[in-house]
Amino acid sequence: MKRATQSTETPQVGRSVPRLESWLKVSGRAEYVHNLRLPGMLYGKIFRSSVAHGRIKRLDVAAAQALAGVYRVVTSKEVREVIPDPYYGPAFHDQPILAIDKVRYVGEPVAVVLASDPHVAEEAVHLITAEYEELPAVYDEVEAVTSKAIVHEVLRPAGTFPDLKHLKDRKNTNVALEFRLRRGNPEKAFQDAHRVFEHRFSTQQVMHTPLEPLVSVAESTESSLTIHTASQSPSFVRIEIARLLGWPENKVRVRVPFLGGGFGAKLYIKLEALVSVLSLITKKPVKISLTMEEQFFTITKHASTFRIKSGVSKDGKITARECEVWWNGGAYADIGPRVTQKSGFTAPGPYDIEHVAVDSYALYTNLPPAGALRGFGIPQLVWAYEGHTDLMARELGIDPIEFRRRNLLREGRPQATGTVMKDAALEKVLERLETLMDWRTPLNRGTGTVKKGRGIAIGFKACVSPTTSLAAVNVNADGSCIVYCSTADMGQGSDTAMAQIAGEVLHMAAEAITVVHSDTDVTPYDMATLGSRSLFHMGNAVKLAAEDALNKLNVLRKELGLPADCPIPDIFKKKYGMQAGNVSGTGSYIPSYKSPDANGLTDNATPFWMVGASGVELEVDTETGKVGLTRLVNVADVGTPINPKIVETQISGAAIMQLGFTLHEKMVFDSQGQLRNASFAEYKIPGMLDLPASMVNEAVVAEQKSGPFGGKGVGESGTFGVSPAIANAIHDAVGVRLTSLPLNPESIWEKLK
Amino acid sequence: MSPFELAAPSSIAEAIALLEEEGARPLSGGTALMLMMKAGVLRPPRLVSLRNLGLGKIETGGSLRIGAMTTLSALERSPEVRNGWPVIVRTLRRLSNVRVRNVATVGGALAHADPHMDLPPLLSALGARVKLVGKGGERTIPVEALYAGYLETTLRNELITHVEIPPLGKRGAAYLKCTTRSADDWPAVGVAVVLGDDTRIFVSAATDRPTRIAGEAAIAGLKIEGDLHGSAEYKKHLVRVYLRRAIDEARNAVH
Repeated sequence: MKRATQSTETPQVGRSVPRLESWLKVSGRAEYVHNLRLPGMLYGKIFRSSVAHGRIKRLDVAAAQALAGVYRVVTSKEVREVIPDPYYGPAFHDQPILAIDKVRYVGEPVAVVLASDPHVAEEAVHLITAEYEELPAVYDEVEAVTSKAIVHEVLRPAGTFPDLKHLKDRKNTNVALEFRLRRGNPEKAFQDAHRVFEHRFSTQQVMHTPLEPLVSVAESTESSLTIHTASQSPSFVRIEIARLLGWPENKVRVRVPFLGGGFGAKLYIKLEALVSVLSLITKKPVKISLTMEEQFFTITKHASTFRIKSGVSKDGKITARECEVWWNGGAYADIGPRVTQKSGFTAPGPYDIEHVAVDSYALYTNLPPAGALRGFGIPQLVWAYEGHTDLMARELGIDPIEFRRRNLLREGRPQATGTVMKDAALEKVLERLETLMDWRTPLNRGTGTVKKGRGIAIGFKACVSPTTSLAAVNVNADGSCIVYCSTADMGQGSDTAMAQIAGEVLHMAAEAITVVHSDTDVTPYDMATLGSRSLFHMGNAVKLAAEDALNKLNVLRKELGLPADCPIPDIFKKKYGMQAGNVSGTGSYIPSYKSPDANGLTDNATPFWMVGASGVELEVDTETGKVGLTRLVNVADVGTPINPKIVETQISGAAIMQLGFTLHEKMVFDSQGQLRNASFAEYKIPGMLDLPASMVNEAVVAEQKSGPFGGKGVGESGTFGVSPAIANAIHDAVGVRLTSLPLNPESIWEKLK
Repeated sequence: MSPFELAAPSSIAEAIALLEEEGARPLSGGTALMLMMKAGVLRPPRLVSLRNLGLGKIETGGSLRIGAMTTLSALERSPEVRNGWPVIVRTLRRLSNVRVRNVATVGGALAHADPHMDLPPLLSALGARVKLVGKGGERTIPVEALYAGYLETTLRNELITHVEIPPLGKRGAAYLKCTTRSADDWPAVGVAVVLGDDTRIFVSAATDRPTRIAGEAAIAGLKIEGDLHGSAEYKKHLVRVYLRRAIDEARNAVH
């Protein structure tokens, strides 16, 4: 393999090291589960529910079973012979491996056909018939609170993650969790306010659309199981599968090679429990690869409704804020309760507000499940609070940047929870955006049917806490180095970043370091690759492990009477008489954390803050309502960039993804809960021609003091400001305010005519 | 996708015979057909490839004669087409994407009869005719006469073998479409205009087939239904706006 060995004199951190896996990827040799074929392997194809809510009265698989080439058809009956209680989930044990008695959304897996030819399996799926007794269904997140249609009669908390320990057993409600925050005396503050503003915003259900659809393979013996899976959370998969089977963790091995994108779709259990049980039933390897379209029925992003109210003083200071947020979690909670809580406490936005009330509700509905998608709910919140901020600035006659600056949280000031802001470059990001947007120069307003406008928005996020990462670093007898960690490289460049961190400690070129991919038999525990947590948490663990190895090498040098600059190979030669042995360093990292009290308050909510802001210049065609972006500027605080080039592409990638969620993408359901656009001819993600003519992506000069070499997460920050900045710019251009996503031309035209 | 037999005949007669089997479908570029098969909308037991029928030539001699199996990118890159019918090249540049244009064919683009496609209204406005061959012989009809409705043609177990486009000369021509989601979306509205003594205007996408109108006054009479691209009212409005813009562009078109 062509891999240049860089001079070790170059600092590793802060250098735009080309991605370590680039050669493998462009030459088609990178390992993906999608390409894995095992001897004797069966392919599974899923038969899905055609109703949104109903009791399964009859399931007829005889014709499918009889089709030539079909190995076996499996329903929940067979699943329960292997796993009597086959319900899983990171927040609640609410999701059955295959539907039991009831179906809760259109597209829910009901049965699986297994065959050695996937086309035969698919053909047989068409021969399965089911009859349902339809039940009343609920689709809207606000209606779900009071609806008589109950998605789950009983709810059982999972109790897996420390931040979700407070979830309760519940009966006959669609409310999975309500998060409540009270600070100061909002009621009185509203009475005393000079002006009070209230708005309501909503967002739509969308999908992750990773280039590689979800795929898992399981192979088994009577007492052990190996799962090859495109997963962002191998350690969770092992623990959850072991729990379902009642096995010890060391009997379940989870391997994750490269992922073709994840964005939150490949977290927790997706296909892993299903292929595991199918492999145990058939005693053969089983693979399920979803089609792109099946992903619409697997995991999505929460639709949401947000009511926001603010009291403002005479001098333009926001004194009180009330937030009520409803999250449409679909039929299974997945990680929705974390979205509700972790996002909930930042719902008031990055502003210094003395009196705050937040109520955030996780709701069940009869739609495909929603989970994490590049931002864990933050983009939905920023959409609302930054639209609200702009509307207030407009009403008050204050420049939108000036109004934000007047109210922004300063370093050292407490955020709504009471946690003090630290290493959050909010002011700097806003200032840099103002400069890059050339905000003080008036904008050319356009002529004829083309009107121009501009807008900005700023958002922030608290990293999920508390979470754990462990890493190991092995230095071989020739001085070469291997990093072991369970962070999944799904395109974000984590392999390269971890190699740079280890290389910085050990004075080695990142290019010469090998990073071993997640294999739970080999790589140590990691909570998951999610929420922009890996560079900070795993980066700290890798740094500690490398320092541990370095320390052990120094101890050896001393013991052997070698000089401090003795090359590593010479240490091992002296110790073992030949090129033999190795030194292993380990590191584990968990930040400190304090759970919120009954009022949602804590002085230690998060280990670090992420800041992202966007500015937009655009044109609106006043005859058609069509919007064209001419400029998109994204500025973020990522601490010290470990790899500046990767940081830049992460910011732009996140912003472009959010551009699709802002202008085009929407899962459209009919009144029966059927998805009307489950194809990419009708669900449109942005293409090259949709990109702004000019785009700037910048990380401000900043440092996260608790992060590895000053770094912190970057995967989501580029999403925060895009949607509200566009809506604010449309308002600026044509005086029309849209409050629901996506911002399609017809809705603009409706208001213009 | 369900299993199927793939036949690749080398004569048109053979192809027509192979297509007699119940459910058999002709295969040209396959860009639309494969999606329909993957979605389970079509489950043909046999596909008959038209690849070996020698229908891939572009010939000029006053009019433009295009073999049905000519790919859209071959058409896009043809110097003759660029010189004589530049509106076709302008249209193709924004037809789907380069990957689709490299395999999709002119005949397929006409026979699919999806009203959202760009070539049917444009070729109709250009006065193009298609040559059809069936068991009983051949006939030639105007492009617009191919369409009976949404995804429905007037073909009677026939294959399109050629498209013949009369000379455009110095007449101004334009095709404009309006997408309401991403730029590469199927259009909500398409309008093709060829100016001249007999000005030809065709509306598509908003209607269930390419539909000729005399002018703006005729828009009110168009049958337009709402869908995921927009409501009926909005699409009707877009037809008006795009008709005016297409006429302007045709007037200013540079040869």
